[in-house]
Amino acid sequence: MLKKVKWSQLYLWLVFIFLYAPIFYLMFYSFNAGENMSKFEGFSWIHFQELFQDTRLLIILLETFILAFLSALLATIIGTFGAILIRRFKNRKTRLGFLSLNNILLVSPDVIIGASFLILFTVLGAWIRGFSLGFITVLLSHIAFSIPIVVLMVLPKLQEMNESLVMAAYDLGANDRQVLLNVILPYLTPGIIAGYFMAFTYSLDDFAVTFFVTGNGFTTLAVEIYSRARRGVSLEINALSTLVFVFSLFLVIGYYFITSDEKKFKKSKKSQAQVESEVPVVK
Amino acid sequence: MKKEVLITFNHVIKKYDDQPVLKDISFEIEKGKFYTLLGPSGCGKTTILKMIAGFMEPTSGDILFEGKKINNIPANQRQVNTVFQDYALFPHLNVFDNIAFGLKLKKMPKKQIEQKVTEALQMVRLSGYEKREITEMSGGQRQRVAIARALVNEPKLLLLDEPLSALDQKLRTEMQYLLRSLQKKLGITFIFVTHDQEEALAMSDEIFVLNNGNIVQSGSPVDIYDEPINHYVANFIGESNIVDAVMIKDELVEFTGKQFTCVDGGMKPNEAVEVVIRPEDLVLTTPDKGKLVVTVQSMLFRGVHYEIRCLDDLGNEWLVHSTKRAIPGSKIGLSFDPEDIHVMRFNESEEDFDARLESYSE
Amino acid sequence: MKKLNPLWVIPYYLWLVLFVIAPVILIIGYSFLDIHGHITLENYQTYFGSGKYLMMTFNSVWYAFLITLLTLLISYPMAYFLTKLKYKDLWLLLVILPTWINLLLKAYAFVGIFGIDGSINHFLEFLGIGPKQILFTDFSFIVVATYIQIPFMIIPIFNALEEINPSLLIASKDLGATPWQTFYKVILPLSMNGVKSGIQAVFIPSLSLFMITRLIGGNRVITLGTAIEEHFLVTQNWGMGSTIGVVLIVAMFIVMLLTGERRK
Repeated sequence: MLKKVKWSQLYLWLVFIFLYAPIFYLMFYSFNAGENMSKFEGFSWIHFQELFQDTRLLIILLETFILAFLSALLATIIGTFGAILIRRFKNRKTRLGFLSLNNILLVSPDVIIGASFLILFTVLGAWIRGFSLGFITVLLSHIAFSIPIVVLMVLPKLQEMNESLVMAAYDLGANDRQVLLNVILPYLTPGIIAGYFMAFTYSLDDFAVTFFVTGNGFTTLAVEIYSRARRGVSLEINALSTLVFVFSLFLVIGYYFITSDEKKFKKSKKSQAQVESEVPVVK
Repeated sequence: MKKEVLITFNHVIKKYDDQPVLKDISFEIEKGKFYTLLGPSGCGKTTILKMIAGFMEPTSGDILFEGKKINNIPANQRQVNTVFQDYALFPHLNVFDNIAFGLKLKKMPKKQIEQKVTEALQMVRLSGYEKREITEMSGGQRQRVAIARALVNEPKLLLLDEPLSALDQKLRTEMQYLLRSLQKKLGITFIFVTHDQEEALAMSDEIFVLNNGNIVQSGSPVDIYDEPINHYVANFIGESNIVDAVMIKDELVEFTGKQFTCVDGGMKPNEAVEVVIRPEDLVLTTPDKGKLVVTVQSMLFRGVHYEIRCLDDLGNEWLVHSTKRAIPGSKIGLSFDPEDIHVMRFNESEEDFDARLESYSE
Repeated sequence: MKKLNPLWVIPYYLWLVLFVIAPVILIIGYSFLDIHGHITLENYQTYFGSGKYLMMTFNSVWYAFLITLLTLLISYPMAYFLTKLKYKDLWLLLVILPTWINLLLKAYAFVGIFGIDGSINHFLEFLGIGPKQILFTDFSFIVVATYIQIPFMIIPIFNALEEINPSLLIASKDLGATPWQTFYKVILPLSMNGVKSGIQAVFIPSLSLFMITRLIGGNRVITLGTAIEEHFLVTQNWGMGSTIGVVLIVAMFIVMLLTGERRK
């Protein structure tokens, strides 16, 4: 029995090493005094200094974050009400129909989204004067592909919410607006936060869609890295990766502590059954 | 005492997709009493509650509140509050904010809200729990928060939708006492929905027994228990021995091939009827002294009494509750008094039933 | 809520029409246009008539299949072992963490690792095999794609495994099943929905990864995604690009049908 547990641990470690090796590899060379990733020639902060002097890259970084922040915010607002809308359809077929429509962008390949949005914006550009590819089209695209994930994060909370909660609010004298603001939205908050979080990371993560719909004037970090990587290796990018990783790590830790508070209650109920189950399963 | 009517149902019918749930119901609810709607699930009792609360509109017929039609008045404008079956406490608010919810919506001054919430918590014996989260409360405590949250708004009518069904037996009894004493103290009308007949008998001033979207019988717990209108009510409320019988003439009924004196009357000669005898009214005796002679089949110890199942020679089963023991397989006699025999006519309406009882009890 | 203020849901409806329905119609419409904007079936004739496109489609599906299979083989045991850990939520977050690092950064790392002067080749030299061309090969493309997809396969499988009621496993044991029997008679069938979602989440993107084929797989057009990107952004033949897009959408629907949850 002991032996098998060790095999599984070995496996876990191997996969984790595989998952993290490239990232640590990047980070490791960001401290290289040399100019490329082939040989470590001693410790140095030089690439970080380069990074902080590269105003073009820093502005792109800032713009990428503003884009993520804005698109996630708008997608969260639209998506939350979309979820409420879908939940309220009494007819099961209508509800499933809307849900399928909602999920189309979620399952579509990035390339298709990028290409079809490019066509869409070009068509719109022909009708609307002054509408051209740039920040606005990237923002619209990011909002568009983030909405479905927000809906999917909020819907389970809505489904979990008992109808009697809304009835109780009316019963205690609340009007439609008060029911929405004082009961439904607060109840959905964990789902809404999770949705915002997902939308934010979707936006930060995206390359393909942005690559299609961005014009010449606007670039995100991913697009910039793509064009630089094709030109050749620069350790400035490694320094940037190190910073991005540290930032993500903080986000993960923050996220873990935010959600673990909520899970505590559920856990305490579940834990007993799980403790019992763990014994017979691992052999 | 002057009769003050709070709620009136006038020929109310409710259909879902043409499927009738309530079939032409009329009744009155008076101020200051404890009412119970009793019936199995699907009998329409929760539908009645939802229509009073304002979550549902009748398909036809009128609902009056203090004489005014309220069919279309939304729930948030009614002077009625509800205690929900699953309590429906807001999980994102603590105990204080849950109870203060309705008062805050009314824009009551803060000081007054605090005072009222404190009083309400005292009333349900939860003083000092203001800051607790709902998730930290036990089922019984949540139940009491839900009651406090409804009562703090000083409704004219409190609706309780099977609020005790999730509690264990001991807590349930405790809550029954609490609810009854609260109702007496505050003088607010309570309408309580349950499928538990013991609960209904213990708490109510008035019980409405429902079946299949109809009110089958209404009256005080004692009336309903002692004079069930038909087989359904007799079976649903308490345990009963029900046998086919023939009403020979007034105050003489025949069943199991023998004739017995009884106290009922007002029926046609030789009318086919049913007879109910409650198990606790049957007294164990020797076969020669018994009005009925039966063979003991089985005996169970129930704590306060023995539950004895017997068969007579015609194959009718007789259930007896007795503090005396009986040996399975032995022959025993059962005796009872004339007033223990309750005669029920087939398909008698509640009005006819009441009129008949009036006529011969005078 | 009885009434939902329509102002709040208008943006959602607008989104549905403008960004969900319109793009699908547009891409299908454009697939019938030639390079001069005339309506034609030429694109489809070219696509199905030439060995070049069919071969590429076959290759793309084959690579996607290999990537999905490899990802599944690595991820299932991983997800299973993860559910046995004490702080599994934290460990799962550590699986998710790499997905927060931009895809391009990770691809960029592999450019360094696989490069002719990179770590792997240093290692091969050390073993005496000598440097090999790894970057810009099919092998490197599959490894990097697998690397990128692993978390997206682990998460749904992990969730499916977590949902299995522990008492079912006890019951299985109680009824005399060995651990292996419990695994393939109870755990495996019950986690099948997670596997299906994982396949959905991996297979379709693998058909369309174009940046990785560009950066790692060499500048060759080896997936449907690369072909679409090429037609839209390089050769500017949107009609042909849309046609390949339509093929990709059809492929997507086939995968969804094959792996879709059967609703009761």
